[in-house]
Amino acid sequence: MLQYVIAGLVLGGIYAIASAGLVITYVSSGILNFSFGALAYFVARFYYYLHTQENWGIIYSALLAILVAGPALGVLLYFALFRHLRLSSPLVKVVATLGLLVAVPAISTLIFGTQAIESAPGLAPQPVRVFSFLGVAVTLDQVIVYICVVATVVVGSAVLRYTDVGLKVRAMVDSPAMTALSGTSPNAVSIGVWAVSTFFAGLAGVLAAPIIGLDPNNFTLLIAAAFAAVIAAKFRSLPIAVGVGLAMGVVTSLIQEYLPPSSNWTAEIIDAVPFMFIAVFLVYNLVRRDTDSGAERVGGALDRAITPQGANQMAGSTASALEGGSLGLMAKFAGPVVLIVVAALLPIIVQGFWVGLMAQAFAYGIIFLSFTLVTGEGGMIWLCQITFAGVGALTASQLATNHGWPVLAAIAAGGLVALPMGLLIGFLTIRLGDLYVALVTLTFGLLMENLVFTMGIFQNLGLGVNMGRPDFAVSDHAFAYLCLVAFVIVALFIFNLRRSTTGLALNAVRWSPPGARTLGISVVQMKIIVAGLGALVAGIGGGFLAAAQTTAQPGNFATFLGVVWLAALVTIGVRSNAAALVAGITFTMLPAIALAYLPSWTGQLPAILFGLGAIGVAKFPDGTLEQSGEIFRRRLLSLANGRAPAPAGDLRAPGARLLAAPATNGDATQVVEEVPS
Amino acid sequence: MSTDTEAGAVAPETLAPAPPVLEASGVTVRFGGLLALSDVGLAIPPGTIVGLVGPNGAGKSTLFAVLSGLLRPASGRVHLRGRDITKDSPQGRARQGMARTFQQPELFLGLTVREHIVLAHRVRFSRQRLWRDMVDPRSLLPSSREEKERVDTLLELLDLTQVARSAVGGLPLGTSRLVEIARALATRPDIVLLDEPLSGLDMKETENLASVFQRVVNNEDHRVSLLMVEHDVATVLSLSSRIFVLNFGELIASGTPAEIRGNESVRSAYLGDDDATVGGKPQ
Repeated sequence: MLQYVIAGLVLGGIYAIASAGLVITYVSSGILNFSFGALAYFVARFYYYLHTQENWGIIYSALLAILVAGPALGVLLYFALFRHLRLSSPLVKVVATLGLLVAVPAISTLIFGTQAIESAPGLAPQPVRVFSFLGVAVTLDQVIVYICVVATVVVGSAVLRYTDVGLKVRAMVDSPAMTALSGTSPNAVSIGVWAVSTFFAGLAGVLAAPIIGLDPNNFTLLIAAAFAAVIAAKFRSLPIAVGVGLAMGVVTSLIQEYLPPSSNWTAEIIDAVPFMFIAVFLVYNLVRRDTDSGAERVGGALDRAITPQGANQMAGSTASALEGGSLGLMAKFAGPVVLIVVAALLPIIVQGFWVGLMAQAFAYGIIFLSFTLVTGEGGMIWLCQITFAGVGALTASQLATNHGWPVLAAIAAGGLVALPMGLLIGFLTIRLGDLYVALVTLTFGLLMENLVFTMGIFQNLGLGVNMGRPDFAVSDHAFAYLCLVAFVIVALFIFNLRRSTTGLALNAVRWSPPGARTLGISVVQMKIIVAGLGALVAGIGGGFLAAAQTTAQPGNFATFLGVVWLAALVTIGVRSNAAALVAGITFTMLPAIALAYLPSWTGQLPAILFGLGAIGVAKFPDGTLEQSGEIFRRRLLSLANGRAPAPAGDLRAPGARLLAAPATNGDATQVVEEVPS
Repeated sequence: MSTDTEAGAVAPETLAPAPPVLEASGVTVRFGGLLALSDVGLAIPPGTIVGLVGPNGAGKSTLFAVLSGLLRPASGRVHLRGRDITKDSPQGRARQGMARTFQQPELFLGLTVREHIVLAHRVRFSRQRLWRDMVDPRSLLPSSREEKERVDTLLELLDLTQVARSAVGGLPLGTSRLVEIARALATRPDIVLLDEPLSGLDMKETENLASVFQRVVNNEDHRVSLLMVEHDVATVLSLSSRIFVLNFGELIASGTPAEIRGNESVRSAYLGDDDATVGGKPQ
């Protein structure tokens, strides 16, 4: 058993260091850094480049990678991104860090190459020395992990508790505005915090590399597991996070001793153990009712007072569902109609392989509409839409292929199977803040991916399950048009819903639950409606996607791939139906074009663009399409009125512009002021 | 009971006695060991402005939360038009004719001023039906004439016509409060609870809002009662026909503005015992 404990303490130590890095940035900025794993991978890859590829010594490589590059990355990201997020809504914070999660590994591949590295050295010299402790072999790499954990706890706690720097950090946690008024620069403190956090990311990455290899997906999953410790610590307590991280590692390791090694399920269960921890801690917090959005609030009364209601919210701020503006309905609908016409022409214009891709693009468009519903309309950050799409695809393929159902009926059934799951998750997350909702849905996705999607009937020896097409739409051309028609139908439903009383009520719930409640609107009902509809649409879209690809492959519905989907949609616009179609086409075509016509290094560009697009949500909450459309509408309005275009500072509210008001923390707090017309 | 009337306020005592719109009795709230409200009762007659005042920590916000359903009392009852609503949710109370505003306006930033009122009107008079909303293309058509008239009337009443198509995110505080009040009135409530409606407003905005309150309660079309929690005692005294005063969770006085002005307990609560009776006269 001791050998399992020792091995578990290594894994737990890495969890502990990662959770320490996650906690300090959360308490000081309110940002749960979903890109922590990607940053850890980047530094670990840089260390590998220096030490293995460039033959630098361990000490110099470690110093440059962990002590210089890691913190420098944190400082760079602080200036480029994180400082803009401090007073943003949790929704924006989550999406922006998810964008980073998508972009960083791609940038890393662009810099260091696509070479697959299954075995990477740690901080111990090769060959790694092995010690004997109570009869159990302990490697020097493992000893280094233990030392790093102890140093993290001792130094971290001492700095926070006994030093002037620690005092400033704790003061800023309570109120950046008051800290600034007291003569301390919150920016300087934040820079330090982010530098330390990315130092921890780098350290965790270099320590983890010998165990999990250098694969960005493994890093993402490893750090996702560390979220369990952060949740157990309620995002705030460093000692609890470290303690739980260590305990998780040991328990995960010990479980292996009691599971039958020959069982097919053993590997799946072990992979799922960290996510089960997350589920347990989330349920515990849920029962304790310790998960409201208040927990996500950052700063004191003064900080909140200088933040206008809804400032930096993501999407949905585009005013007016009912008002057509003076341009009238034709101008408002011209864009989407033109887009549909262009999309309808594309399968005719392109040939062969590309026609099949168009069918997939339209199917992706349907799935993306589920994000439009849940995140765009409902304002909820759900990270398991891809799981619902997977449920739809796997169900439809089973019914159509193995049970002889008509394909369209099977696709509809797939959506209906996803629907109650969406309702259930919606019900469970009603009273949770945005961050908890993101974590619950992420955990649900990871558990489904590890425990359900890995089942033999879905995997079919890695081949997936065949998925046919309706008899009247067997060809790629015909099926592409069928997908487009399905997209238009779903988009019209959403469009109609948005303009209806229910749509207005959804909007109301999104912006002010107390205001909506005291108006007589049921917040619970609204959120569950959105959740159920989102799952239904994703499930149906998943069925269409499987038919377009002619197979339902569980690997195509991995949870973190869904993050790339979200990033792609957010880049274009998460609240617009047209954006869902554009995102579907872009997401499908861009990588294919890069692969077919451009140099191989450009293969990473789509992921980088989508990632940067999602990061851009901090500045352009409504996405590029909505932003461009708004500029176009402004120009039309100005031309119609015979005067110069209105300034396009604030694209969220027609006729309004943003003024940068001086904020005490050094950030520009944005105040919306009406422009006299 | 006094029958004196302040400027513009309606004196219920001169009218035929009418049952109160909103009535609370024996309301007690405890937060752990702290007694936030102790056996508090009040009654709001129809078509009146009633003030609820008290020093900081008196329990005004707690009582407001109990009345609007955001807080369940340890004991006591709340009746709306004679119906016991003590256990009803905030949205349940809203559907029965209670509306409220917030100290920091809780507006829906994705909607325009007009849409706020349209939504409130529809929530009360044409409840949303999901499936119909999804498949019925009538949402593409303009609003019904009745809805348009009702919304236009409210916009006019509150002087919001000019900004009807504006996004609420860019509105000044005074206008935001008007939008909240318009939204509340669109549900055609019997009573509106106003949480510090004058805080943060300058003198002109305060005067404007006060005149709006007068217009609202004097509106012959639909008589509404207003219960106002407010720190600005002078304005409350000038607007209200009846005032309730809380201190340390207890109701220490109630009556007309004149009665409250002359009440020693009230003066003591606001100024302190010594200051209130310097020279044997209230200061």
